[in-house]
Amino acid sequence: MSYPDLPAKGPSGDIVGKPRRNTAATRFYLTNEFGLIALIVLFALAFQFATDGFFSPFNLFSLGRIAAVNIMIGLAMMVVVITGGLNLAVGAIGVCAAMTCGYLIEVVGLPWPIAILSAVALGAMLGFINGWTSVRTGLHSFIITLATMSIFFGVMIFLTRAESYRALPPVFAAFGRMKLLGIFSPLLLVSLMAALFLGYLYNLTAVGREMLAAGAKPEAAEMSGINVGRIFIYCHMLSGALAACAALMLVARNGAAIPSMAGQLGQDWLLIAFLGPVLGGTLLTGGKASVLGTCLGAFLVTMLTSGLLLLQLGDFWIQSFLGLLLLAAVLMDKTRRTFLARRNMA
Amino acid sequence: MSNYLRRVLAIGLLSAVGVGSASAAGDSKIALVPGGPHPYFAAWEQAGKDAAKDFGLAAADYKVPQKWELSQQNQLLESLLTQGYNGFLIFPGDPVGSVSTVDELVSNGAPVVGGAGCFKDPSSASFCLGTDTGNSAYIGTKELLKTLTGTKKRIAHFTGFLVDPNTQLRIDAVKKAAEEEGATVVQVIADIDAPEPAEEKINAYLAAHANDVDGIITSAWVPAVVASNAVRKIGDKRIKMVAIDHDEVVLKAIKDGFVNGTMLQNPYGQGYIGTFVLDKLRSGCTVKTDAPFKKNALTDKFIDSGTAYVAADKVDTYVDAMRDTTKKLFETFQATYLTCK
Repeated sequence: MSYPDLPAKGPSGDIVGKPRRNTAATRFYLTNEFGLIALIVLFALAFQFATDGFFSPFNLFSLGRIAAVNIMIGLAMMVVVITGGLNLAVGAIGVCAAMTCGYLIEVVGLPWPIAILSAVALGAMLGFINGWTSVRTGLHSFIITLATMSIFFGVMIFLTRAESYRALPPVFAAFGRMKLLGIFSPLLLVSLMAALFLGYLYNLTAVGREMLAAGAKPEAAEMSGINVGRIFIYCHMLSGALAACAALMLVARNGAAIPSMAGQLGQDWLLIAFLGPVLGGTLLTGGKASVLGTCLGAFLVTMLTSGLLLLQLGDFWIQSFLGLLLLAAVLMDKTRRTFLARRNMA
Repeated sequence: MSNYLRRVLAIGLLSAVGVGSASAAGDSKIALVPGGPHPYFAAWEQAGKDAAKDFGLAAADYKVPQKWELSQQNQLLESLLTQGYNGFLIFPGDPVGSVSTVDELVSNGAPVVGGAGCFKDPSSASFCLGTDTGNSAYIGTKELLKTLTGTKKRIAHFTGFLVDPNTQLRIDAVKKAAEEEGATVVQVIADIDAPEPAEEKINAYLAAHANDVDGIITSAWVPAVVASNAVRKIGDKRIKMVAIDHDEVVLKAIKDGFVNGTMLQNPYGQGYIGTFVLDKLRSGCTVKTDAPFKKNALTDKFIDSGTAYVAADKVDTYVDAMRDTTKKLFETFQATYLTCK
């Protein structure tokens, strides 16, 4: 946001326009987004210097493809985090949607565009179950989604007998392997579109602003006429739909819908689902969304993992490093907000 | 297996085929990648080192994904390709889900061989070199049933991860062998090839139902270790047991008479021969289309890396059994399966 081009006055009435511009610049430099961009540039240079092939076309392609899925997973969590809630079932919902897509194509014989839409709709429906149950019971979504994670995944395993669907149209695998300009995965475009949609939603639509308001102060939002319960359900539905999109992207990457694509109960997605939004500056207490930050956060995590693998740092250290990164991000964000609050810049 | 024994095995293999056959490409950089951390694959590390030394490869490194996750394995494989590895022996993280990655590796000029587990056809993998798990479980069950003298013959089967493509094959084979001998599989406990679930489920089951079981067959590493300890704790040697693999706990239980025998697999041979073949494929050899491959539920290009039953009388010389199996396969491998100019 830019300041109006008017000279400001200090307590004594003196014009103090210049310090204000400094304040704006300082505020920008203190944003998560700027910090993440700086870290991405720094780490990219460091990895290029320290490893062979970090900027090779194949590595850039695979990095972008993994980042695209991770960004989508991060966005799926972010849209619930802004309500002050959590969606631990992102992975389970994603796998359910992917398996549904595979079933509809391979067993039912539906055209793939209809199967994809149905899978996304199923994701939204499972999200609705999470949201509705959470709102109706008044329990924190942490509890609800912890339970539904097991329920959704268990039902999926029961219905599919843990069998994969791999007789998918070649267009799926072709899309997952496609290279744009030799180095970019088109999956990045899908994530970019989702991010643009969310940016539009939160900045330019009434329902998006109601989501942020309901997340920041549910009681105040309720008193101002917002149906907070309904808004929370919308957020969970959106989360389910985005989780389904992430899973469908993985189907394209693997060329098959497989029950183990997100690990046992879909838990493999959880760390990255939290890392993206938290690194990006989305408040765990709700009320603030950073779509760009989530994208940058997820990209940074993916890049770090790729770089650490190339460095041949002990494979088992990578997970520990990501956990430390999450902790450091939370602490740095707290420090940043304290700094801003002390200078009345928050 | 000690380093000394591994060296003996490697020297024996080399002498079997002659040094002249080591026409290796000096730039071959082979990666041996399991699905995740597991003691079964530990022998791959030494096998890779021995093969790299024996055949003059640039490297043959054992690289383990941090966890048993398909995405982690895929990411590791992509990274290894970027690092310049140009041949891969892979235990598939998922027999179906890994195929896409294999296709990409091969399209980038790096041949792939399935090791210890197979990719589901069709895939770009050259072939699958692993234990005929169904046959191993079948033979093990038959050996177990030979030791049961009563009429009931009630056996329990403790096995590995359900996502492991071999697990269902093992379950089916045990059931088939039991039916043929008029025995009953009273319990199958799967998904326990990790210490915590294995300890919890096996001990709980035996605490409640030890009297309802006459024999135990195990077909995965960790359940074999845990069940060996459990029958030792029970102590009366009434329950007969046939284990799998060569963990020290299992071997000692065989020596002490608590376990009747074990079905050896050949991870060292898989790693050693797999690395050798990948180098050959990089050197211009091709896989014969009419090679005598076996079939299993996943692929039509399966090669049995060997299995052997070892009871108390041979437990001190089990390495010989593994060496013989590997030597036999290695001696004829190139002539049987490869066409080299």
